[in-house]
Amino acid sequence: MERQRLDPRCLFDLMLSRIEARDFRCFEHVQAELHPETTVLRGRNAQGKTSLLEAACVLLRLQSPRTSTRTDLIRHGQASFMVEGVHGADTLRCGMSARQRRLAVNGAVMGRSGEYLKESGVVVWMDHGDMNLLRGGAEHRRRYLDFTASQTERGYLDALRTYERALRSRNYVLKRDAQINWRHADAYAQIMDKAAEVIWQARNELVDATLEPARRALEALSMGKEELGVRLVRGAEAGGLFEQLVDQREQEQRTRTTAVGPHRDDLWIGLHERDAGSFASEGQQRSLSVALKLAQARVLENRRGEAPLLLMDDVFGELDATRRQLLMENLPQGSQRVVTTTGGDWVEQQKDAIIYDVDAGSLKLVK
Amino acid sequence: MAALEYPAPIRQLIWQLKSLPGIGPRSAERLVLWLLSTGATQAPQLADALKALGSSVEMCEACGFYSECGTQCALCSDDRRQRAVVCVVEQAADVLRLERSGAFRGQYHVLGGKLSPLDNVTPEDLRIAPLLHRVRDLPAEEVILALSSDVEGEATANYIADLLRRAEIKVTRLAQGMPAGGGLDHVDEMTLFRALEGRRTI
Ligand SMILES: [Zn+2]
Repeated sequence: MERQRLDPRCLFDLMLSRIEARDFRCFEHVQAELHPETTVLRGRNAQGKTSLLEAACVLLRLQSPRTSTRTDLIRHGQASFMVEGVHGADTLRCGMSARQRRLAVNGAVMGRSGEYLKESGVVVWMDHGDMNLLRGGAEHRRRYLDFTASQTERGYLDALRTYERALRSRNYVLKRDAQINWRHADAYAQIMDKAAEVIWQARNELVDATLEPARRALEALSMGKEELGVRLVRGAEAGGLFEQLVDQREQEQRTRTTAVGPHRDDLWIGLHERDAGSFASEGQQRSLSVALKLAQARVLENRRGEAPLLLMDDVFGELDATRRQLLMENLPQGSQRVVTTTGGDWVEQQKDAIIYDVDAGSLKLVK
Repeated sequence: MAALEYPAPIRQLIWQLKSLPGIGPRSAERLVLWLLSTGATQAPQLADALKALGSSVEMCEACGFYSECGTQCALCSDDRRQRAVVCVVEQAADVLRLERSGAFRGQYHVLGGKLSPLDNVTPEDLRIAPLLHRVRDLPAEEVILALSSDVEGEATANYIADLLRRAEIKVTRLAQGMPAGGGLDHVDEMTLFRALEGRRTI
């Protein structure tokens, strides 16, 4: 195991060595070689550095952490975008228009996203928004869980999409008529019941698997012992969802929306057994949010057997030198990083790195 | 000066064609230009065929399949078909697909779609009430739900199964092996045959 990890060929096997994008966000055409360890994209704001990071995420995961609207990704006035890259020995290619998606691995067209995602790599995305894990609504914490689970659990993404579509349909049935057609609503509740089992099982396992790595990461980052806790707070009682929804008729008749289910789940995050969102200091919250992302990287590595690609959007700029150093030291070994920043002395000090300056949608190699 | 455009009859036909499913403005334009040149001899036949569609085809009130006006429904009038088993499908095209598989010799019932509240398709928009009457009148002992395996198809199956169970009718679904998320149009005849043979009670 140890020897394998040191074998440099292994490192190269798993990395994203090149990325190219056409008509993606502000880029008409851009391409970049990426370093096996660190690639820095430096530039003023709104020059496109985050978009390039986003392109890497879309290439490997077919989704953007910044938007769920596909057309946001297409350059203004164009009908589609294309992202291509070399991941390990494979050439991945992904093109999307408003309605269509074309995926290929080594030139072979992949009809289903599942097949493509099996070949592509795993990703962790870090940015300012991570503070929402502590300060934002439950949807941020569910998204955090979903982003990991959809990369580790086969069938999770399908179950989640099925659940969400059935939920939207059911809510529409509850709202539409003065007299609710419960049989119609139940037809969706049955589908949600099955999908919820898959979602809950995966989320439970994931939260269990996250606790230890998150504790270790927090300890390293805050240079001391802090008692971190994470728990899945289910948006329903234990037991089958269908029966519980049948029991909620009266309430749903009033509120006209689905009362219980995984869409009401939350991830409780605590420090010394108190809710960290309300009681932790801003500094502690910042460390917690980073620790949770580092734990995500660890869980992905454990489950998939490969270190994830870390896409870090302007994370270092906010930290003082000590914290920056601590974070860098605690990034998972052997993981490849692509980092955006507005600048700073630390950039030029990077030893094993490629540095690009990003200006008005074009890249210039600095080193 | 106004921008140059095609004469009104051409614009009118392009507008008609591009409102059809699967045809965009460019395909519509190409089709019309073809009808004006190479395909000019075919245009009158095409017009006749379109007219005949409205005047001499009707939907069988019992099963929902199509027949020529004034003739009996080829399915419902066939005495050799079993009356105790009804196979429920979304579209008329599914009937032909199942027939080609050769696995089924009972009655068909075309729903005319699947439940989809997000697209404004409700139980009242489908031929569900006629199905219940028919099952009672035949009388049928088993109803096979041959619907797609996406959320809409599943919900439609759940809805109908719930109604029929109250009437104590055996309800079955096509076996596993059908592609997830797809309808019958994505399946070859051999797979359909096996799916029908291996249907399971729900
Ligand atoms: Zn008929």
